[in-house]
Amino acid sequence: MVQLIFVHPDGSQTEVDALEGQSVMKAAVANDVDGIVGECGGAMMCATCHCYIDEAWADRTGPREDGEEDMLEGAASEVTEHSRLSCQIKLTPELDGLVIHLPEEQL
Amino acid sequence: MALAPLDQDITLDQLTLDPYPIYRRLRAEAPVMRVASAQRTFLTKAALTKLVKDDPVLFSSNDPNTPMKPAFRAHTLMRKDGDEHLAERRAINPALTPKRINSDWGPLYERLAAQYLDRLPRGEVVDMFDTLCGPLAARILAHILGIPEASDEEMQRWSQRLIDGAGNFGWRPEPFAASDEANDQMDALFQRLAPLRTAEPDGSAFSVMLTAEYPIPLSQVHANLKIAIGGGINEPRDALATAIYGLLDNPDQLAEVKAQEAWGKAFEEAIRWVAPIQASSRLVTADTELGGFDIPKGETVMTIQASSNRDEDLFENGEEFFVFRDKNPHQAFGNGPHHCAGAHIARRTVGKIILPMLFDRFPNMTLPDPAAVKWRGFGFRGPINLPVVLN
Repeated sequence: MVQLIFVHPDGSQTEVDALEGQSVMKAAVANDVDGIVGECGGAMMCATCHCYIDEAWADRTGPREDGEEDMLEGAASEVTEHSRLSCQIKLTPELDGLVIHLPEEQL
Repeated sequence: MALAPLDQDITLDQLTLDPYPIYRRLRAEAPVMRVASAQRTFLTKAALTKLVKDDPVLFSSNDPNTPMKPAFRAHTLMRKDGDEHLAERRAINPALTPKRINSDWGPLYERLAAQYLDRLPRGEVVDMFDTLCGPLAARILAHILGIPEASDEEMQRWSQRLIDGAGNFGWRPEPFAASDEANDQMDALFQRLAPLRTAEPDGSAFSVMLTAEYPIPLSQVHANLKIAIGGGINEPRDALATAIYGLLDNPDQLAEVKAQEAWGKAFEEAIRWVAPIQASSRLVTADTELGGFDIPKGETVMTIQASSNRDEDLFENGEEFFVFRDKNPHQAFGNGPHHCAGAHIARRTVGKIILPMLFDRFPNMTLPDPAAVKWRGFGFRGPINLPVVLN
């Protein structure tokens, strides 16, 4: 199990126990986390799983994947240097405790 | 395991007129059903349609032997998988981002919407379908694509002929003759405009594809534009008409939508309630199993997202138009790699620009006779008329 902490725009938090190998998006959707839609199911075609990786974790989640940058342009909320598509972050034991900030809107 | 049950009673006419009672029955009794009249295996539950769309290896879009190829005179990205699909999809994507609308196009779309609203007559019955929904969808799309030289009438005619050709599963000659004529006219326009859109890049889809660092072949640039014409007018037109109907038929909800400025939610609910694209086909590439039945390689399954969008497992009172649902995980834009490329554009133009402007300008708009509104379509669906009185 890998623990994830989702921080909503109002500051409240949702903690989720996710599976290794799962993407952050899948873990959020499977646990009904408000704020991650994941409409295209992880095909990097919709930008509705946009999230901000907490600064402290940026090194461990690594750089954006090929094509992710372009698709992020489709995100509904502001895109920052911490923006990622959560479908492109695969969970490893090193990400246990990962803090993910959720955007204001996804659609 | 056994093959899915075979239905020999459901007719295409019934599905065109009103498929929803049939889908409700299939969801309850036979969510995997071979329907003889459509020569397809219908999948009517949300979990099944999503699973199929999310697995493009087992359930392929790559089926060059559909009437789509002669209708478009091209093997288009809609019918491709993997890298081939991705290359053509990525070529057009930059023109379809919200950033592009917000920074470049928003003011133009607002102006266009205002123009089309200005010319509507007040105080008499007017058919919004013909006077607003179709022409405005066509005009906005012409600008997005970089072919504003095409008239509203041309855009709508070409779109309909491409759709009719692509749906010509009886392989009759007339629809292909009509789509051929449309293709000739579109090709001639594209050839005339290509030098202009190359010389002066304007962020339109045509321009973006022509001036890319590594452009896709010109044949596929044309094919992408045609896919957008075939798939980019009916959907926003029908979504807009459905949203207007839903709101006018439910004045309490309309009042609340106005109070909360929940136009985006109203748009989402409209396309959940009556999805403009109701069903899609996928070719099964290996023997598999769905919902407890054998699905042999070579079969074509049909994901009925119209039905998934009313699935009792996900939606309470799914048959009703209700804007203020807690969650609205509809599949109107599809799932997987072929998730609608125009989703962001549609959400912004229809949900954030046109709907609020329309109800702001005509706060006392009424639908005198909801029963007079006719709904049609199996593959694509929406109202085919929308007689309202504007005030």
